[in-house]
Amino acid sequence: MDRDSRHPAVTFFWNGASVIGQRGDTVAAALWRAGITTLARSRKVHRPLGFSGSYPTGVLARVNGRPNVRLDQLSVETGLVVEMQNTWPSPRFDVLRLAQALPAKLVYGGFEHGAWMPKSGLAYRLAERAMANLAGVARPADVATVPAVVPGERLEVDCLVVGGGPAGIAEANRRVALGQTVALVTRGESLARFATSMGAAIEELNSDVRLFSGMELFGAYRDGALMVAASHDHRRGAVAFLPKETVLATGRRSIPPLVRGSQLPGVFDAHSALQLAAVHRVKPGKRVAVVGTGAEIDVAEKLIALGVDVVHRGPVSDLIEISGRRRVTGVRADAHIRCDAVVHAGPWRADPSLGFQTAGEGLFQVQVRPLPHSVSIAGAAARGDERIHASRHVHPDTLICPCMDVTAGELYSHIDAGETDPEVLKRLTSCGMGTCQGFPCWDNMLALLAARVGAEPEVFARPTHRPPRRSITVAQAAGLASLVEPDR
Amino acid sequence: MNTLPLPKRASVVIIGGGVQGLSVAFNLVEQGQKDILVLDAGYWQGGASGRNGTLIRPGFASVAWTELFVLTVNEWRSWSRRLGENVMFTQRGYSVVSEMEKSEAMLREGLKVQQSLGVNSWMLSRREIDDLLPAINKSRVQAVQHQPDGGVAPHHAVMKGLLAFCQRNGVDVRYRTAISGLERTGSRVSAVLVGDHRIEADCVVSCAGPNNPDIAAMAEVPLNGFGMRIEAMALEPTRPLIKPAIALIDSLAYFHQTSRGEVVGGTEVPERPRMSLKVDLPVMANMAKVYLEMFPQLGEVRILRHWAGQFHASTDYAPLMGEHPDLKDLWFSAGWSYGFAGAPAAGRLLAEAIAKGRIDHRMKPFALDRFETTGPIIEGGIVLA
Repeated sequence: MDRDSRHPAVTFFWNGASVIGQRGDTVAAALWRAGITTLARSRKVHRPLGFSGSYPTGVLARVNGRPNVRLDQLSVETGLVVEMQNTWPSPRFDVLRLAQALPAKLVYGGFEHGAWMPKSGLAYRLAERAMANLAGVARPADVATVPAVVPGERLEVDCLVVGGGPAGIAEANRRVALGQTVALVTRGESLARFATSMGAAIEELNSDVRLFSGMELFGAYRDGALMVAASHDHRRGAVAFLPKETVLATGRRSIPPLVRGSQLPGVFDAHSALQLAAVHRVKPGKRVAVVGTGAEIDVAEKLIALGVDVVHRGPVSDLIEISGRRRVTGVRADAHIRCDAVVHAGPWRADPSLGFQTAGEGLFQVQVRPLPHSVSIAGAAARGDERIHASRHVHPDTLICPCMDVTAGELYSHIDAGETDPEVLKRLTSCGMGTCQGFPCWDNMLALLAARVGAEPEVFARPTHRPPRRSITVAQAAGLASLVEPDR
Repeated sequence: MNTLPLPKRASVVIIGGGVQGLSVAFNLVEQGQKDILVLDAGYWQGGASGRNGTLIRPGFASVAWTELFVLTVNEWRSWSRRLGENVMFTQRGYSVVSEMEKSEAMLREGLKVQQSLGVNSWMLSRREIDDLLPAINKSRVQAVQHQPDGGVAPHHAVMKGLLAFCQRNGVDVRYRTAISGLERTGSRVSAVLVGDHRIEADCVVSCAGPNNPDIAAMAEVPLNGFGMRIEAMALEPTRPLIKPAIALIDSLAYFHQTSRGEVVGGTEVPERPRMSLKVDLPVMANMAKVYLEMFPQLGEVRILRHWAGQFHASTDYAPLMGEHPDLKDLWFSAGWSYGFAGAPAAGRLLAEAIAKGRIDHRMKPFALDRFETTGPIIEGGIVLA
């Protein structure tokens, strides 16, 4: 599926070269169509990362002088200047990617407590300065783009619905029919993107529902009495909702397979792959492998109907490895299959962050408790989490947390030394402390830990999910300062 | 993780395995003390030791605080060598920024005290501000007191170094082990109870942070102070923008850019006091406003995490260090609001007092009974309300 001639062409720049996208594309989709697969580099050993649907860190880039903009949420515009981050001296000639040759153990624990660090004196000061430049990933914003406070909004509603899928729409419509004032927050610019691409019939959203699209509900405060959302567009203000009731209809996402290569550009979750194919008319790959926990059958069929060549479909538990250096070149299940994209459709799990933030409490550790009556869960998110298939010997190079570049081997080095407390593992490795804030990486970390020590994953408490869960700028947050009174 | 059964006795039982408790343990080991047991109800780094801003400076406005923190900075300088572990203490400087004339006068007063005690510290000229803080919004800056010997030490490195030293040297450190009571025999404390298990102790040191009042209550002794909860947040990592650690004395905010690029800091808003590890929105919004005003380039940076931490503050916000006047062999390192920075000094002074019976003149002003004897310590240079 090449560029669709019905859509006007939009020219923007990637690392100084011009790229032609089409109106309605996200930058991530346009770059994928143009054959540009690596959009970011991991922070320690500079592994190639790309658009995955699972890990925002693969789609963070510098846009018009602003750091860490999410390319999968940004529409193409003429003249947009997009650059890869975490490169030196420049994205086109990047010396830092030589770090890929470093032995993994050298960077266990991060740059911060590497065994190689000098202990004191000038050598340490120089090492620290080098480290700060290496670890920083993104340059701060150019002075010319310095923003003012982006004013926020405060809104009291009877019901706040989080999630614009079929369940969220149905719930919002039902509430409006009961005479309630309703707001609906959805990450996408349009509603029910996944269900639409799967060919489901979607009911219209009642026009009395106040729709906040392109926004992420990032924080649940005061036992759910205060819910705050921010736009992915840095020019739009954040919104502080004071809902009487909240319905979390945030659905479930497919968790990336717990095998080596799962972070390679070309590995997509089913949502993103279908989104690419159905909405943006971009094939995820020329030869696509689809794995899952049952849904791979339907997802593969849908992809085939959209003209995608599916060369393998099978259970995710049979997957041994995803091969490739810069991008996917094959998968190993019972046989080696040559392919350039992998789509995973399961195990399906719900992001627990908002529920955790709402109901978690504790003096020594924040632990999740039952939700208050004012907050409920609807749709797929209420269906429970599927089990993650993990072997006792996951390949040590398997990347568990792409944001902080934490591998299975690094986690094993602590687990095998007797450390099985997830909160401590998190602090030792920084696993889950990046942009994704613990979903899906803690799910994989806990599955890995449980399999290693021969326990059930449920016996381990999740590390604390904290607000903000994804994406609010300092300028957007500052715009909330006068809107919410401190709890006195 | 130690899974052996708990011992039946220990020479010293330290309650709290945070930076304070482990510092006491480390210094006791250096004093030749054997048979040390550290008990902590939470997990490693789960308390304020893993949640604070990690800022360290020698100079304050009072003699008592400045003497204590000059000692602590000197201790910090030797910790990596003595622990055999890199605690990554880095003297990148500490700038106290005033935004008003009144607070500038206060900084200049404090400077006199600092200079009389030999602290390297001065008010920056406009040109020095340009050099040291190129990204700061100079229109907001009234004056800057700069302490080049101040700096930061990341808590993960500090806690890792302390724990590794303690474990190497035979200190028994137990996390997720809450004590349920203290046993008194006559006028002294004689044992620590963990459920049904009794651990006889020659000496008990409470370094329990926000739980110090609970320990005092178990021992049925009074303790000045109250629990406090403050919040901090971290921004997404960027390449270096801010070199020194910064305290804004008028906005009650403090922050620094970590060596992995995150700007980490906190501020305060007047709130209903309560103990919890949960956060609320106003601190994040107000901290963001401070960042935007002071370092406008941070405006487009995203907020990564926001958390709360708890501590025990005395009514004059100064530490409470020493043996309890009403109960022999029960020692406290409590009341700390600058407890991470002060831990090296506290550990050293308490260990000397416990092992040698020597009360250093730098510890004396912080005695637990000062409110009835010498009176509270007046310190205007702390960023806390």
